Amino acid sequence: MYGQGILKGLGVTFKHFFATYVDDIRHIGGGKVSKDERFAQRQGMDATGLFTVQYPEEKIATPERFRFVPFLVVNDEDHPEKPGEDWCVACGICAKVCPPQCIWIVRSEDPVTKRPVPQPQAFFIDIDICMNCGYCAEFCPFDAIKMDHNYELASTDRTQNHIYDKHKLSKPFAYWRQIAPTTAWEEAVARGGWEHPDVIKDKKKSGAPIAQPGSSWTDPYVPPIVEKKEEPAPAPETASPSAEAVVVPAAEAVSEADAEKAARLAKREAALAKKRARQQGGEES
Amino acid sequence: MGLGVDVENLSGEGELRTDRLVVNLGPHHPSTHGVFRMVVTLNGETIDSLEPVMGYLHRNHEKIGERNAWNMNMPFTDRLDYISSMGNNHGYALAVEHLMSLGARYTPPTYRAEVIRVLMVELTRIVNHTWAIGFLLNDLGAFFTPALYAIAEREKILDFFEATAGSRLMCNYMRFGGLAKDIPERIHTTAALVNDRVRDFNTMEYLTELITERLPRAVDELDRFLTSSEIIRARTMGVGLLPKEMAIAYSAAGPLLRASGVPYDVRRADPYSIYPELDFDVAVRYNGDIYDRYLIRIDEIRESLRILRQILPRLERTAGESIFSGNKAIYAPRMPLGESYGHVENPKGELGYYVVSQGDPKGPQNPWRYHVRAPSFINLTPLGQMAKGSKVADVVAILGSIDIVLGETDR
Repeated sequence: MYGQGILKGLGVTFKHFFATYVDDIRHIGGGKVSKDERFAQRQGMDATGLFTVQYPEEKIATPERFRFVPFLVVNDEDHPEKPGEDWCVACGICAKVCPPQCIWIVRSEDPVTKRPVPQPQAFFIDIDICMNCGYCAEFCPFDAIKMDHNYELASTDRTQNHIYDKHKLSKPFAYWRQIAPTTAWEEAVARGGWEHPDVIKDKKKSGAPIAQPGSSWTDPYVPPIVEKKEEPAPAPETASPSAEAVVVPAAEAVSEADAEKAARLAKREAALAKKRARQQGGEES
Repeated sequence: MGLGVDVENLSGEGELRTDRLVVNLGPHHPSTHGVFRMVVTLNGETIDSLEPVMGYLHRNHEKIGERNAWNMNMPFTDRLDYISSMGNNHGYALAVEHLMSLGARYTPPTYRAEVIRVLMVELTRIVNHTWAIGFLLNDLGAFFTPALYAIAEREKILDFFEATAGSRLMCNYMRFGGLAKDIPERIHTTAALVNDRVRDFNTMEYLTELITERLPRAVDELDRFLTSSEIIRARTMGVGLLPKEMAIAYSAAGPLLRASGVPYDVRRADPYSIYPELDFDVAVRYNGDIYDRYLIRIDEIRESLRILRQILPRLERTAGESIFSGNKAIYAPRMPLGESYGHVENPKGELGYYVVSQGDPKGPQNPWRYHVRAPSFINLTPLGQMAKGSKVADVVAILGSIDIVLGETDR
């Protein structure tokens, strides 16, 4: 019969139309199902209808390996010794391997001896040119540059806002652990500790204790262990053994004795001021 | 006299001798799937001749490729046929691996790497063919409903790509001697932005569900939805004919060639990766019209699913094995002197990379010559022959049935 094929096709269309509302009919009046659960159901493997993600009210979270414009890993703010210190040693591999050549690094030098210091004095990424290939993060031998997850970078001024400097690129290590818990753990296992590879190397030489990653990625993060005379180092047992533990140690560390906190803050301020001064000095020269 | 028609100009067969009209279809026209121009000479509604004009999306791909180091070209190949970037990666990896094998130090990719490569490439084929079918229907005037149904499952595949390679389209996943990363244990998202909704799947369960349930269901539905539709049959059967001899003469490849009755498939003709041990048929159709080009894509999706069903147990068996041979930390690999050509059966046809190395260990480490045999570009050349004699409205459908991507055509 002529037209049978069209009718069959219309049947498919109607089925799709209906399947999209099955979920809505099931949950009429809201009820006990949370928005997150409904989202998971709609965007899961059992859903049959066609569902729109209501951006920006809801967004599909990005998977760990998602790559967008890179960022530089720096020490956490509550790092006992060197808060906010760059992991980058200005070796320049990322700039060399970058396919569109959008990374620019200036290596620091000692103000007195003029000898190179393994730290970037300046670090620029032109995010308009960056093609988000992830090579810089893949080939960095120090795990110092990582791909970010924040894809909402639109701005109205491309000349000023789209050239990221070191200040804009730097993000604490805790952020990397938060957006990529599994990968961060894998990398820590490969490095042999939670800290920067050079720090681990030095500690191995001197025999100092190294903050070791657990046997699985769900194990809590161990903050850097510092040997002190009067006070024992923050033991890994104090951290709660939950998946959210990656951020918990930071909070605990802050809630320690006030005097220590103040002292640390002062230390950090001093370190930052020193760094700033050095940076400015370098730019002027 | 006074009739408005010069009787003397009427030809003997009663046909009006009208002026030829030259019309530019494109470059900025949605039906051209990008920026592509067709200079059409019309006799009324009928096409006298058609000349494709390319180059509006030329990005210097090959010259940039000769400036780049060997590794750097991999993310650039994603940007060729941006719908099937995994296939592009595979072709380039094969070409360079062959070049490396001419030298002293070379270890071929591990078995698991090959298995995952084939998994990715066949999923890409499904992505590409559903996309092509959906947009062919768009070109025929079925505005976006078939396209939407066709690409719904694509989202699930892209979610898997995103969790594995880090990006939905620009995968940049393959390396010389293996892969960037193994497939993750869980397709697990982490919230980084406001309103982020987190999802979590077991990867193997996700893949099994996708390959054995969702994709076959979607293909069957697409088949039911479109194949027997009278409108589609009327618009596509016998239109845009490309005879077997002409297809070979124009060195067409891929679904375009196979729909004309030539069972040529690089996976069979010059087997690479683990295709020799996989059981699949080369889909062939014999009429060489738009309808057959549509049907062959459905056939190929089914064959891809057949391959994928054989891949699943191999994935499970090789779990935990290495995905990379050799030293992965080398960011600027050195190539021996020589040339190599690596080709793969990409969804759009035979994609080939020709690379020449200077072999100078102290010189610049980049290809001396880097050429891409782009299937979209070569399949586009018989367009003029196919369109001759058909109506203006059919040209759009014929172009859609070739399935081109301008990123690859112009490079």
